[in-house]
Amino acid sequence: MVGKAAGSEKGHLPNRLGVKGWVWAGHYTIERYLYTLHRLTGLGLLLYIILHLIMNGFRLGGEETWTNTIDFLTNPFGSVVEYLVMAAFIFHALNGSRLILQHLGYTLGKPKPPVYPYVDSMRRRRPIVWVMLAMIVALAIYVLVEFVT
Amino acid sequence: MKETHLKILQYITGIGLFFFVGAHLLISHLSSGEPTTWASVSGRAASSGWLAFYIFLLIFGIYHGLQGLRTIILEFSIPNPAVKVLNWVLVALGLAVFGYAVYIPINAFII
Amino acid sequence: MQDLSFRVQRYLPGQDKKPYIQEFTVPFRQGMTVLDSLIYIKENIDNTLSFRSSCRMGICGSCGMLINNFPMLACHTPVEELGTDRVEVRSLPNFPIIRDLVASLDPLFEKHRSIKPYVMSSDMKEAEEPIAEFLQSRDELESYVQFAYCVKCGLCMAACPTVATDALFLGPQPLGQAYRYCTDHRDTGAKERFCEADSPHGVWLCHLAGACSEACPKGVDPALAIQLLKRAMVFDSLRLRKKRTPASVAQPPAESKSKIDVPEFTVK
Repeated sequence: MVGKAAGSEKGHLPNRLGVKGWVWAGHYTIERYLYTLHRLTGLGLLLYIILHLIMNGFRLGGEETWTNTIDFLTNPFGSVVEYLVMAAFIFHALNGSRLILQHLGYTLGKPKPPVYPYVDSMRRRRPIVWVMLAMIVALAIYVLVEFVT
Repeated sequence: MKETHLKILQYITGIGLFFFVGAHLLISHLSSGEPTTWASVSGRAASSGWLAFYIFLLIFGIYHGLQGLRTIILEFSIPNPAVKVLNWVLVALGLAVFGYAVYIPINAFII
Repeated sequence: MQDLSFRVQRYLPGQDKKPYIQEFTVPFRQGMTVLDSLIYIKENIDNTLSFRSSCRMGICGSCGMLINNFPMLACHTPVEELGTDRVEVRSLPNFPIIRDLVASLDPLFEKHRSIKPYVMSSDMKEAEEPIAEFLQSRDELESYVQFAYCVKCGLCMAACPTVATDALFLGPQPLGQAYRYCTDHRDTGAKERFCEADSPHGVWLCHLAGACSEACPKGVDPALAIQLLKRAMVFDSLRLRKKRTPASVAQPPAESKSKIDVPEFTVK
């Protein structure tokens, strides 16, 4: 494996974008920002899982402790957080399904000799992303309606 | 091919979580039958089917989450010797969380 | 179009602590590229401006720069296509800066070398004493030729969000080239390259942001190559990868009589 990055030892000025490069690095297309959102929703869901498991632990305290915990969490702020978690799950799951297929090289088409103007496989298969986003928005709206009613 | 095996498990747990978490959300959060009352919770706790469901949900969720976290941490130029330490820390964390979380439904099932 | 306002990154090692922006005014000329503008600045305004360029026709990959927040080849970017008369030029991100717009591409070349970017044949006798060409069908060629157009300009590495934080990540160019050689039917070194790509900072840190393919000026589509490499590695780890026979060597042509009477050469 390649060791320490070359160039920096010669006294050249390091110029790595850092974490800023995950969020915004310039005028890129939608897939780059779907990657950022996938990462954010993943971290959000992981944090939620930890808190959720801690909350579940209050069940060991018996019926009164459990009921008090549920009453504490049942408030408008709690409902908003719960909805955001569900929306994050919907996005992460559907985008993740797309990523599993595309990471294994499916739905991206075959390589072919490039002819100008070049159109890469992600751009050619952009409709898959639009369909996925439409499903995410539709499900998020459905869940919101279920929540509110 | 160790990293490849870890990634294959990430994909498998991802697909599994699609169904497990989907079902969990539908039943525990979207259901209209007050699923979070003590009576509902105790009812599910007494079922061996639900116990198995929660155990699988825990295993899949903890693995998928911590493997994702590992991927993010690795992107901070963690050198190879530190990767081994990171792996062990995450395994320990995962086992600790699983141990704590699985005790709750098992305890409820036994009682 | 009016005169162009060029905001160019300047940095002189030993004198400047960090890069700064210097503004120049360049008269617009129909069909001029960003490289033409930089050459104008160097010849007429400030001859200390440093940048790398060579072929000026988009084939050598030397003039990769960040132009209006997107990595492009300066020679390949007509100013009119930017749609503005304010152009900002910086050196490629994720590469150390040597001076002004010149970035050190050593990290790219080192990682490229690590994936063994050459055909490795199991037939050592043929490799060392070749007698004829290898046979390859059109389909076999088309499975990798797109990825062979890489000019090693580094734009994909500048665009990649993982390269932005991880100095040890192989990157889109080396991983794309690893697939190019693995899928070449003349090559039998796939296992060695899989081992290199299977490291903690290997292929699995690619999350399909697609920025590399978007930035590539030659239509190489490294994102596609990397996902196909992942598929090959997954199938190989599950022992499902199809075994293929290496490309055979062309047989010498059978003796044939010339249709036209060719006189014998008089000079021996």
